[in-house]
Amino acid sequence: MADKSFNAFEMAQTQFDKIADTIGLDEGTRDLLRQPIREYHFSIPVRMDDGTTKIFRGFRSQHNDARGPAKGGIRFHPQETIDTVRALSMWMTWKTAVADLPLGGGKGGVICDPHNLSMREQEQICRGWIRQVYKNIGPNSDVPAPDVMTNGQHMIWMLDEYEVITGKKQPGLITGKPVGLGGSLGRTEATGFGVIYTVREALKHLNMKPEETTASVQGFGNVAQYAIRLYTEMGGKVVCTACWDQNDQTSYTYKKDEGFNLDELLNITDRFGGIDKTKAKELGYEVLPGEAWIEQDVDILIPAAIENQITADSVNQISSRVKIVAEGANGPTTPEADAVLKERGVFVIPDFLANAGGVTCSYFEQVQSNMNFFWTKEEVLEKLDQKMTSAFWDVTNLSTKKNLFMRDAAYVIAIDRVASACKTRGWV
Amino acid sequence: MTDPKVSLDKLIDSLEDRVKELNCLYEVEELLRESDLGLDEILHRIAMLIPPAFQYPEICRAKITYRSKVFSSRSIKNSLWALSSDIVLQDQVVGSICVCYDEEKPELDVGPFLTDEKRLLDSVATRISHYLMYQKLKAVFNRWEDTKEHMGSRKSSEWKVVLELLRRTDSDLFFRISRKMLNYLVWQGVDEASVLLQKFNPTLHSVEEDSKSETNVPLHKGAFGDMNTLSTQIFEVAKKHLSNSQILRRIQQWMQEDKTSFLVRAIANSNSSLTDISEAIRRYYQLNPVGMELSPSTRIGVRASLIRRFFSDQLEFINIAKNYVRVLDFNYLFERMIFPIGSHGKLGGKSAGMFLANRIIQQSDFVPGILEQISIPKTWYISSDSMIHFMHHNNLDEILEQKYKSKEDVKREYPHVIQLFKNSHFPNDMVKGLSVALDDFGDIPLVVRSSSLLEDSLGSAFSGKYKSLFVANQGSKHERLEALLDAIAEVYASTIGPDPIEYRIERGLIDFHEEMGIMIQEVIGQKAGKYFLPAFAGVAFSNNEFRWSPRIKKEDGLIRLVPGLGTRAVDRLGDDYPVLIAPGQPGLRTNVSPDEIIRYSPQKADVINLEKNTFETVELRTLFKEIGNEYPAIEKVTSVIEHGNLTSPGFNTDFQEADLAVTFEGLFKDTPFLQQMNVLIKELQNKLATPVDIEFAHDGKNFYLLQCRPQSYSRQSAPANIPASIPKARYIFSADRYVSNGIVDNIEYIVYVVPEKYSEIDSLDRLKEIGRVIGRLNKILPKKRFILMGPGRWGSRGDIKLGVNVTYSDINNTSILIEIARKKGNYVPDLSFGTHFFQDLVEANIRYLPLYPDETEVVFNSTFLNNSPSELSHLLPEFEHLNAEIRVIHVPAVTRGLTLKILMNADMNRAAAVLSPPVSGSVKHFADDNLSTVKIEDHGKWRMQMAKSLAAQLKPTRFGVKAVYVLGSTGTATAQAGSDIDLLIHFTGSPQQKEALNNWLEGWSLCLDELNYIRTGYKANGILDIHFIEGNEIGDEKDLAARFDLLNANGIIKLSLSMEN
Repeated sequence: MADKSFNAFEMAQTQFDKIADTIGLDEGTRDLLRQPIREYHFSIPVRMDDGTTKIFRGFRSQHNDARGPAKGGIRFHPQETIDTVRALSMWMTWKTAVADLPLGGGKGGVICDPHNLSMREQEQICRGWIRQVYKNIGPNSDVPAPDVMTNGQHMIWMLDEYEVITGKKQPGLITGKPVGLGGSLGRTEATGFGVIYTVREALKHLNMKPEETTASVQGFGNVAQYAIRLYTEMGGKVVCTACWDQNDQTSYTYKKDEGFNLDELLNITDRFGGIDKTKAKELGYEVLPGEAWIEQDVDILIPAAIENQITADSVNQISSRVKIVAEGANGPTTPEADAVLKERGVFVIPDFLANAGGVTCSYFEQVQSNMNFFWTKEEVLEKLDQKMTSAFWDVTNLSTKKNLFMRDAAYVIAIDRVASACKTRGWV
Repeated sequence: MTDPKVSLDKLIDSLEDRVKELNCLYEVEELLRESDLGLDEILHRIAMLIPPAFQYPEICRAKITYRSKVFSSRSIKNSLWALSSDIVLQDQVVGSICVCYDEEKPELDVGPFLTDEKRLLDSVATRISHYLMYQKLKAVFNRWEDTKEHMGSRKSSEWKVVLELLRRTDSDLFFRISRKMLNYLVWQGVDEASVLLQKFNPTLHSVEEDSKSETNVPLHKGAFGDMNTLSTQIFEVAKKHLSNSQILRRIQQWMQEDKTSFLVRAIANSNSSLTDISEAIRRYYQLNPVGMELSPSTRIGVRASLIRRFFSDQLEFINIAKNYVRVLDFNYLFERMIFPIGSHGKLGGKSAGMFLANRIIQQSDFVPGILEQISIPKTWYISSDSMIHFMHHNNLDEILEQKYKSKEDVKREYPHVIQLFKNSHFPNDMVKGLSVALDDFGDIPLVVRSSSLLEDSLGSAFSGKYKSLFVANQGSKHERLEALLDAIAEVYASTIGPDPIEYRIERGLIDFHEEMGIMIQEVIGQKAGKYFLPAFAGVAFSNNEFRWSPRIKKEDGLIRLVPGLGTRAVDRLGDDYPVLIAPGQPGLRTNVSPDEIIRYSPQKADVINLEKNTFETVELRTLFKEIGNEYPAIEKVTSVIEHGNLTSPGFNTDFQEADLAVTFEGLFKDTPFLQQMNVLIKELQNKLATPVDIEFAHDGKNFYLLQCRPQSYSRQSAPANIPASIPKARYIFSADRYVSNGIVDNIEYIVYVVPEKYSEIDSLDRLKEIGRVIGRLNKILPKKRFILMGPGRWGSRGDIKLGVNVTYSDINNTSILIEIARKKGNYVPDLSFGTHFFQDLVEANIRYLPLYPDETEVVFNSTFLNNSPSELSHLLPEFEHLNAEIRVIHVPAVTRGLTLKILMNADMNRAAAVLSPPVSGSVKHFADDNLSTVKIEDHGKWRMQMAKSLAAQLKPTRFGVKAVYVLGSTGTATAQAGSDIDLLIHFTGSPQQKEALNNWLEGWSLCLDELNYIRTGYKANGILDIHFIEGNEIGDEKDLAARFDLLNANGIIKLSLSMEN
């Protein structure tokens, strides 16, 4: 039964094999990169609130650290499996490589459901996790971060336990810490701004002037809001956004041909990116069905909400005017739609390049923590711009040179970077 | 007559008269208070005070006669024009006050006197009577105290001293005690006493025993001598049969009882109005020098009667309340009570619940100190018959018949009814009462709550059916009073609103004469800017029906907590979320990550706007910006959102600037709130012997209990009865873990994601497609008429393999969400308990049920689920390729018209999904399968019937049985689904017969138990509770009632036995 069902790790390996074929990777390197280089399995005993003892299973997979310390989150998930952790650690390797960060890829987890645990019990799991694995991680070897069902609080407990055991202050052990306790500024803006840095460069690449372009955005959450802000500051005009309406349990598209006034819109938006429909109408926004964002006559589409939005069906509604699709969300385009976009010559900025702002900022947190000197937000964003810009051009140049679709180019560059690091080190 | 000048003169005259009268009364009062004056002096001075209060003081004379003494203002001549009032002491006339005019004056109301003057005279006489009574008791008491001091030395004959003292000071009491001793001796079976009993003069008897007699016939002189001898004889006999200390104890007891008998009489008499009772209680406390408490049994009796008069006839309620409520409490209650003259009204369920809960808290020592700071808000009560009084006053009587009109008419006419009520006038005495209440409250906002006699009684919870209205209570006294009256009228009108009427029809309560008491409570809260609001408020339940983790037990309770007024916590909210927490498991939260916590935190609050004089709902974001720093206890209510993390507010936090989320983290972590709540609901549940729900509020400093009642269930969430009689073939599945309460019926479609197939899917896209199909089905299937059954965790975000990838909007129309945990190898995967959208499910009333098909005790009808034809390709042809993975079964189509019904019972931890005929309107199938539709009285009826048929088959000679009686709840229609049938058998046969009888009865008991189980779902291993009484000298029901300590003979019913031998 197990061999027939969906397996994330197998999927990640298949994806890797495809690229490995493209770049003609040798057998040894393939073998090395198809598996995590190291992984740890351990038990975490926890004394529960009711006095009983429960044993939790924990993992850490370090897929590759040829380019630098492994980097990746810790998941608390009730049905965590080692295969999921392996697959995710592999993806982290490619993600850090495409952004050209001096980091490797890792992932960890604990089989547990925080909804069934008190805060004290969760703290015990965090500290127990560190006690089992502290010898194998560290600011210079493997740097965890928050992930599914973990957050800054968990990171602080883990860091504290680590510092107690090692007897040193080492804030660089872990990222995702609260600002003021080793966290970095600019985190909120990072992903949204990152998307627009790549859009800006893509416009340059396509010889278009930002102030002469318009964009339609799907989503009005954190990423979309900051993307709209920066794009508008660059002179572009956002005419459309689609967002979820909690009351109606459906999504709507809001449209204004003369362009959005972001602040005006934020005033009528709740914390979760839901726009007040009635007030939006009063402000002169046109309210359309949720899918309408995709068929707008604009130059740029920014899907920044959820996955699987540009599908075999909806791809055909995309206006011929659209030149750029910047994937702010994870996996917004299905493979069938991807093929259509490729054929139509739309310039796609693939998700793991476009939204690499997040992991880059995480890297900045690590750097700042290690030197125990923290930058201003402007400094962070300026450095982010540099990083994203150079990552963008690396991928784009490769795409032009080898005539690769942008998504493939991004993968190729990532795997090639990791492979050559392994080779240079003489591992393969 | 019409001359305005004349009438004005008259008015002034009468006003002057009133002033004179008041002066007189005032001075009399002053005199009586000067205790150093002797009685003679006092009476003399009063006589001097009276004439000036009369119309013609110059010719007016007053005379007070007391016993043999006379006191007068001037020398007395007989006069034709006289007025007189009696001075009464312990129902005997001991004197009089007389006023007369020397010359003839024009004829007025009473001879030449005014009615007011007569009233004045009566008042003075009553005051003197009271004074005399008080003096007398004081004297007796002082002497008694003196006697007590010498007890040690004169132990043996102590009671004689007391008796002698009594004989001299209070002969009436002395005789009554003698008589009581005689009764007591006869009762004890002393033959000499029976002889003495004959000697009692029948006329004397009537005077002494029939205390209700109004004749006030003085005692015959001759009788005194007889009585004295008789008494002496009685105590001679007593001395022979009782010890000295026994006699003393009796005398002591009777003396005390005697002094409080007026209270007992007033309260026990069903004719006494609230005014009479209030008067009696006040008098009792006025007179109440130390040592005059009621005896323990009388005290309980008085309490029980008071509770019955004020609150409820329900035996369960009285039975519990009498142990906690003090007589003194009713005295306080009267201070804030508004009722019409001659009222026989009650205060209603809500008031009763509050009153009792408060007493229980005050006396609680469950965890010492923890409940001490919990108080109740200042409350005024309006008695239930005030509503009738009001309607009568406005000729609205016929509106009471509204309830018999058709549903449509009721609905259509309701807005007019409200207007009619609001435009009506209140009777003057009510307006006066409310005006006093307003002075007492000041300009603090008020809430007018209904407290219906039907509301909140056991078994029928009218929660939220009648209105509660807030009044801001701002402006001039006149405006405030108008607003308050308006609110009361509206609450009155709500008794005949469509909702309550429909509900009453459903419960068979429509013919019950509805009266509604009103509670006017201060709103708990503080002024913050232009608003008035509590820091937080909420409701708490002792049973948690929404468990979000298998670690939470039902007993861990549930709190729904909101900032501001509690209105938002009471009802399910469509657009907002209260904070949920289980006080027994404070560590296990519904929301764990900061994202979840923020997303599911309250966004709005109900407040009172003091400027606009209204109740309103405001956005918290706006509210905090405006009055953040003034909001009461805001540091306990909110957390600060900083870069996506939640932190506790600090000393430096500016609550108007900071980005805040309502989490109550400070409240939970830094205060004993959760522990208090936990103890509170547990204590109330224990003492009230039923799960409770309470409302509470906190003004930032103090914690207030606002309401307490038995935990109520709507039909949809009452524990369902799962009849054992359903054939297994009709089961689709059953469950026995983590079951909540309720019924989900009329299910037409089953959407079944086949677990085996789902786990075999090897493509991510296909897995995601399943989620999309569910979303589509959710839109096209009839709302709330389908169920979703699927493997593992619905809404799994990370690992899609573990459950169908859906968001809340993909499932929001299902009636129940079912997760199936199939064994994998040797472990059963954890289920989500709906955690991904738990709060959405709660607010939308979507039920959740986990299934464990591989356990041995449960049914899982795979054949039905896998082999019934699926409609998927019909409904969504484009997803035909998923036919194997998703099955959509149209239940009526495959079962010839049946629908699916899911019965859930948390108490038994069992659930069953069975095929059953559709339920239309009030037609119920499975006969009695729903506990909540079985009226309470039906349990009693059924028991009575069963007892009768048992008796009808019991052959008296075969078993040596003389009679069979039914006892207690069986006969009184207060029986519950799980009550026993109490039988009392008068047995006169042999041991063999008894054995045979026992066997025969055991058979019945088990058999009836089984029947009851099928009826109600309760099982007890035998339902008969048999008591035997043997011997021949058994009297009638009354006699038995006395032996078995029953309240009265009505609690016992004789059954007729079989005629065969």
